[in-house]
Amino acid sequence: MNDIFNFKRFGLLFRKTILERPVQLMGITGLILTATLVIYALCLYFISFQPAQNMAFIWGLVGGGCFLSSVVFGYFNTNAQGSAYLTLPASAFEKWLCGILFVGIFFLCTFLAFYKLIDMGFVTAYRNGLDKNNPAYKELYNSVQYYPLDNNNIAKQSAMLFFNFTGAMMVGSLYFNRIAAIKTALVYFAALAIIYFLNLLLAYSFFQNVDGAFPFHNIFIRAGNDNGSIELPSSFSNITYYFFAFIIPGILWITTLIRLREKEI
Amino acid sequence: MIEFNNLSFGYTRKKLLYKNLSLNIAAGSIYGLLGKNGAGKSTLLKNMVGTLFPVEGEIFVDGMVPGKRRPSFLQTIYYIAEDVYVPPLTIKRYKNLFAPFYPKFSEQSFYQYLDVLDVNVDGKLNKLSFGQQKKFVIAFALACNTKVLLMDEPTNGLDIPSKTQFRKLIASVMYDDKIIFISTHQVRDLENMIDNIIIVDNGDLLLHSSISNIADKLCFKTVSEIPVGAKVLYEEKMLKGTAVVMENINGEDSKLNLEQLFNGVTENPGITKELFSIN
Repeated sequence: MNDIFNFKRFGLLFRKTILERPVQLMGITGLILTATLVIYALCLYFISFQPAQNMAFIWGLVGGGCFLSSVVFGYFNTNAQGSAYLTLPASAFEKWLCGILFVGIFFLCTFLAFYKLIDMGFVTAYRNGLDKNNPAYKELYNSVQYYPLDNNNIAKQSAMLFFNFTGAMMVGSLYFNRIAAIKTALVYFAALAIIYFLNLLLAYSFFQNVDGAFPFHNIFIRAGNDNGSIELPSSFSNITYYFFAFIIPGILWITTLIRLREKEI
Repeated sequence: MIEFNNLSFGYTRKKLLYKNLSLNIAAGSIYGLLGKNGAGKSTLLKNMVGTLFPVEGEIFVDGMVPGKRRPSFLQTIYYIAEDVYVPPLTIKRYKNLFAPFYPKFSEQSFYQYLDVLDVNVDGKLNKLSFGQQKKFVIAFALACNTKVLLMDEPTNGLDIPSKTQFRKLIASVMYDDKIIFISTHQVRDLENMIDNIIIVDNGDLLLHSSISNIADKLCFKTVSEIPVGAKVLYEEKMLKGTAVVMENINGEDSKLNLEQLFNGVTENPGITKELFSIN
């Protein structure tokens, strides 16, 4: 018997994972999609198109992804549930792959498809509502574009945050048995705060009149009434980007597997 | 079949619950694991199923290491925790989703056990009472036909008729290649069911013996006066004399009283060790 991966067993496990907690997994996915639609509509109504597109994308993908990833391995609220999960005859790798596929593939694809759909709907509705006889028709028509996923810095940053935060949430849900999402968020924000203030302290020790500093990015300097910023050289900037975009999420997602293998309850 | 080699376990490395525990458990028996609350019964079961890992030493179950939690191992063992978990599924849905993981699962036996235990519902399992949920999980576990069945306080939450049915069911599913391990602090629930007893207290193995060996070595009776010089494991004043558990010097036949035995062993571990050589 293959104790690492068996296709049939994995199929059974994936089916069981989805159907055992349909309300939690499919329900939360549905809730996230609905929330994305509501955020888009509200921001559009109160602000304008571009903020609506960005807000819905960021909160739906990053916020929703965090929420979902905190429950995907959330079997450890009770000793009985945790034991039932750990002793189910499937390998740790298969159990991990189930969670990873759900968050990293199923949710991501569903969200992107849904987002594309609502974005097209809102943009098309806007364009169809324009008066073709209006002299500014072309300008108004072109002022609103479909949300681009490539060559879009916000989408790129959101994807980076998605993979970092979901990884952290999955690891956290395997470390903390109860209210894992809140505890993980607290630990994560505490770590970010420590990094931010240590970086600021370091900036103060090297420069005078420091106005602010973002770790691994730049330092704002005030000189009289003027402000300036010292940025990382592009070669270092690229390194930090790859570090946060690939290495940290990779470490977090693999830590989930290691933690799942070593989980005790 | 289950082998503990110098097992040490503790929730912290500094404070070990079990120290250098060595124990061999053979197939073909129903074991009663007895101990007070917090004695370490559940901990021992969790080490056997691989949801807790030993700090030192090894455990082998059917030649496999539980801590690795390999599917080939998990197919051979079923663990029922004290507080059962059932998802919001119907019986049929649960069976369809979980049974395929156990190659020896018998659908016919499953429905038969449910019938015997009087669990028959069309609704979702999580809406059942705790006792009904527990009976459902017991029926499913028995139907999985695993070589090792570990049950942590299985009779908690069961009513009196269900306890009787439970005892009958356990006796009916016992085969030579199987081990059933029942942990409880309600010792009376195991009477007439188990054929081996393990008693633990504060991480110490106080007794590991078969019922027949206990009957050979100990005598359970009520006396008006305790014989002089007798090695008495336990005594309790009753209306019609004193109930005693004492060394069986004359080879008397007596009915085993688990509760008295348990009290005697936990109160007098020294005498117990003199009378029984612990494996």
